[in-house]
Amino acid sequence: MKKWIVIALIVSLMASVLTGCSQPAAPAAPAETPEASGDKVYKVAYIARAQADSFAAWLANAVVEEAGKYDNIKLDVFDGQANDDTENGLIENAITNKYDVIIVQPNNGEAQRPYVEKAVAAGIKVITTNARISGIPGSSSVDADPYMQAKVNCDLAVTQVPQNANVVVLQGPPGNFHADARRDSWQKEFFDKRTDVKIVGEEIANWNKDEAMNYMETWVQANDKIDAIIAMNDNMAAGALEVVKDNPKFKDILAYGVDGTAEAVLLIKDGLMTSTSLQSAYDLATSLLDTTNKLVTGAEKEINMDIDCPLITKDNVDQYIEMHKKAGAIK
Amino acid sequence: MNTLDRNKLWSDIKSKYSIYFVLAALFVISWLSNENFVSVENLSNISTQIAVGTILAFGQTILIISGMLDLSSGSVLALAGVLSVSSYKMTGSLLISFIVAIITAVICNMLNGLMVTRFKTPPFIATLAMMTMARGAALMYTNGQNIYQIGNYVVFGQGKIMGIPTPVIFMAVLLVVTWYLLKHTIFGRSIYAIGGNEEAANASGINVNKTKMKAFIINGILVGIAGVLFMSRVNGGMPNGAVGYEFKALTAAVIGGTSFSGGIGTASGTLAGAFIVGFLDNIMVLVGVNSYLQQIVRGAIIALAVIYDIWAKTKRTKRKHGSVEAK
Repeated sequence: MKKWIVIALIVSLMASVLTGCSQPAAPAAPAETPEASGDKVYKVAYIARAQADSFAAWLANAVVEEAGKYDNIKLDVFDGQANDDTENGLIENAITNKYDVIIVQPNNGEAQRPYVEKAVAAGIKVITTNARISGIPGSSSVDADPYMQAKVNCDLAVTQVPQNANVVVLQGPPGNFHADARRDSWQKEFFDKRTDVKIVGEEIANWNKDEAMNYMETWVQANDKIDAIIAMNDNMAAGALEVVKDNPKFKDILAYGVDGTAEAVLLIKDGLMTSTSLQSAYDLATSLLDTTNKLVTGAEKEINMDIDCPLITKDNVDQYIEMHKKAGAIK
Repeated sequence: MNTLDRNKLWSDIKSKYSIYFVLAALFVISWLSNENFVSVENLSNISTQIAVGTILAFGQTILIISGMLDLSSGSVLALAGVLSVSSYKMTGSLLISFIVAIITAVICNMLNGLMVTRFKTPPFIATLAMMTMARGAALMYTNGQNIYQIGNYVVFGQGKIMGIPTPVIFMAVLLVVTWYLLKHTIFGRSIYAIGGNEEAANASGINVNKTKMKAFIINGILVGIAGVLFMSRVNGGMPNGAVGYEFKALTAAVIGGTSFSGGIGTASGTLAGAFIVGFLDNIMVLVGVNSYLQQIVRGAIIALAVIYDIWAKTKRTKRKHGSVEAK
């Protein structure tokens, strides 16, 4: 009897997970292949950095959705699992399986470089994205510039942050291209220009909300005055804000992030967060598929482009809330 | 009392309570290093910050004492947490969401238990497999995206009762429950016996498989509660949340004197271990220690704790001539 209860519980858990009852599941499988038109259908491999990384997952979902709009493209998604070895292996497999186009979202650009070069040498069209691997002749790229993403926030902060302010800084994982470039941008575009500003705490919170919360809780104990939270992504900014949101001492605190996540735009709408810059997975996906199409149809041989990184503040937040509503991230 | 007895008593006190001396010393050093350390608010923050990891560590303690461990607790926490948040969004019921988390984590742990008891899979491998499966299920269910706007669900992790943060209350209650289970029940005694010598335990009439399964089920309940607290504290359903928390939990248990060779460990020791890590993390941030150096210090503390554990155990074993000790 007990055995059957166990089996029933397991089956019910599996069923609830598999049906994904409440989530607006974007199509996880590649869109149906429309070969009815009789045109050649091109095989495209999309190799994601890690489906477990929420931005990478958002991008992969957006790419799948966008690919559905093209009759001449059949897209397969692969997961690099945040592991260089796995990702390199996936690129090699894609070469062996003769894909027409390989889109690579590198885990670590330099580690994937030789494999991308190998694919290009095999005559396959390669597009690198988020972040691009530059300097490979014959390959294309679509990216957002991390330096610019931080800079649009810095330009606002330079005038907004009060004189002799105390600020805290939350960094992404060391060695990560986007984390390092964003921090570099804050240094050159903000701290070097505002030498009166004092950093009272700076830690690596690895893009994570819970780690950022822990640091902020400690900083709040050590400092009576913190005027601004400078975070290299929205997740960490949101974590720090979670700590001070009900504390009247910090009601005027400024908070800057990057990504334009659903949570960040809601915080901006509520007046808790100051600004973020959008790294739109939809824009990246649109440009990626457009680039793919141009490459396979021979319209162009090599394309290198950056998408915009618009600044989101209270003044224009509504349009981005709408964007997330459409995607189902905000109800 | 002759000198020999007095020496024996002192050595017993040393080996039993040394972890609390370490904790007290660290407390004093931290106090002297930074005046903000002893503020009520800071100590309450530290307790809140370690609560989720410590609750997982209670489960680990029970498993490690019986000669097992759970590498899946961080991932199962995430799966239980996102299903719980999602069920709250569907039903609006805090009670249902809480139960969903516990049922999910218990089912995952029953699977762990089945693999270990029925199929004789080493716990390391069984829970490693569950770690991957549970994380995958959490990501698949949410499509890799966080769940936001979770409304009143935050009361579990951000609420206060008489000024005490709810996670701390959960941690305190579960400390008492774990202590009682280990010290005052047949189950507890069986756990120590199995960890000390499984064959001897079996020969003395203990149903080893049943006890191991019970240990996993209790671990599941603890992981489920930790899942609710974690998601509620970060104000969102995060399928990527709590990565590496199983190691936080293992660290607390091991520093607290739980022995990887089984048969030794206490709930209060684990709590002390968690506080040692919590104090260290906190004071290093308060005095502005370089982030990279923090990692080195944390690693060194774990190494020292294990070295100490092995050293103390060897001494005790020599003294007791191999008898199983259930502190």
